[in-house]
Amino acid sequence: MTALSQTLSSLRHRPGRVFLTALGAALGIATIVALLAVSAGATQTAGNFVHLGPGELGLFQSDASDPTTSVLPTSLMDRLRRQPWVSDAMGLQLLVSAVPRAASAIVFGAAADGFETRRMVFSAGHVYGSGNEVVVGDVLAGQLHLHVGDELTVSHRRMAVVGIYHIGISEQDEGAFIPLSTAQAISGHPGEVTTIVLKLSPGMRIPAAKRLIAKRFPGLMVITDPDEALRAGANGQLIENVTLVIVVLALLIGGIGVMNTMLLSVIERRTEFALLSAVGWSGPQVAGLVLAEGLVVSVLGAAAGIVLGAIGAGLLVHALGAAAFVSPDVTAWVLGRALLIGVLIGILGGLYPAWRAARLSPARVLAQT
Amino acid sequence: MAPGELVALTGASGSGKTTLLQLIGSLDRPTSGRVLVDDVDVGALRRPAVYRRQTVGFVFQLHYLLPALSVRQNVELPLAAAHMPRRERAERSNELLEAVGLADRADSLPSELSGGERQRVAVARALANHPPLVLADEPTGSLDSVASRQVWRLLSGVRDRHGTTVIVATHDPTVAEHADRSLHLVDGRLMTPEPPERHRVPGFAA
Repeated sequence: MTALSQTLSSLRHRPGRVFLTALGAALGIATIVALLAVSAGATQTAGNFVHLGPGELGLFQSDASDPTTSVLPTSLMDRLRRQPWVSDAMGLQLLVSAVPRAASAIVFGAAADGFETRRMVFSAGHVYGSGNEVVVGDVLAGQLHLHVGDELTVSHRRMAVVGIYHIGISEQDEGAFIPLSTAQAISGHPGEVTTIVLKLSPGMRIPAAKRLIAKRFPGLMVITDPDEALRAGANGQLIENVTLVIVVLALLIGGIGVMNTMLLSVIERRTEFALLSAVGWSGPQVAGLVLAEGLVVSVLGAAAGIVLGAIGAGLLVHALGAAAFVSPDVTAWVLGRALLIGVLIGILGGLYPAWRAARLSPARVLAQT
Repeated sequence: MAPGELVALTGASGSGKTTLLQLIGSLDRPTSGRVLVDDVDVGALRRPAVYRRQTVGFVFQLHYLLPALSVRQNVELPLAAAHMPRRERAERSNELLEAVGLADRADSLPSELSGGERQRVAVARALANHPPLVLADEPTGSLDSVASRQVWRLLSGVRDRHGTTVIVATHDPTVAEHADRSLHLVDGRLMTPEPPERHRVPGFAA
């Protein structure tokens, strides 16, 4: 008989208690998995605000709390274009919650001849010409049943749909593009853009360009990949912070739950542990038995929590109305962290009961029974 | 006490029989004085668990079998503490259960056994690590006469076959009569010990 088989036998003897304790841990871990998955999804989403090809950089205001709140002067574009290492620069104005019928759609203000705009492949119509025209991503058009010739309201402004496009970037295919000047007028920031996308000159490497920007254009945040985009995004950051708080809470609540159960178990089974001590089990051996029981319960809870959390993540973004905006991403890293948290809950919750069990005086306990 | 003796500790409740056994078995430490077992002060041991594992086998009035474990698993508890490999543990537990007449109940749970059978399992558990010293605290106190006789035969048989020293705390005067010698405790003090051969009953051992 091994310590493990004894642990499992003891747990099998108390199935109800094991189930309830594991359920407590499972709910905490399910919440963590759901939030981590949404957070991972938000990372991807933030990276998709701007489509960056090879040799391209996204510039945001460095102290902006969210990519969409960044404000950069359009004059900066001209200064950047004059740099020998810059091939082209294009300003984008991002408008969120601007389409009443699709709250999560983002409206991009961009010059019709910008290199970002030229990536559009039109399935119907063409790019906008006048300030009151809009082109709609094919996903959004499908959702709202829009066709060329229809009207779309953008921030109380009725605009004519002149084209349906596909780019292949979910954020942009689920949104719409309007002329930059119109977007600036709607946002109340004429002469300003949210972000500037830079196309570097051939031969110019991104790290060198980043160093030059940091030196010559202070106050700018340079984004080259989705992780950096997340750092600039308050939404993603908020989810990360909330997740951290929930992780700490889950560790505390789950740990206290496991501790409570294991402590109760130690008190109930004092005679058992005293007997083990009498037949030669050392303090660490007795403590290890209690720790192993706590660990098995919490890992069972973690396994159930991972399944619940993976399902719950999808339900969460639907409940928040952010299904189009954020796709939960249940990665191996998310699952690994959840399992690690389960193990930590077991260890944290089991330590004190294990210590109590190891310190029981067999003489006193056996004399009382 | 000499090695291989079967000694009965008698005395009224509260006279100190259990306390003395717990001190000898290093389950408790003396507040004053010393307890020497083979010239080792067992009250000052740094690792009493090792001493209990290697030197002492306990049999209590209550069997204290773990309810979630099978009979075999209960017998193997001291062996698991000693990190004995699985195969050797199985061989040893088979041997012990055979000796106490419960080989066919190895996979039963304690709740499926009679009181006498449980106490025989407890005796098997006490003997698992071949201890040179067995301490039995009222081992027949909660058994009927038939079961009591069986347990007694086991304990005295261990002494006869392996030269194990057995100290038994008991209220039962007939049990004391079958011991090599009897030590009487009154209020924690040892009264006149009687000579070793006096109470020896030849042929009692199983």
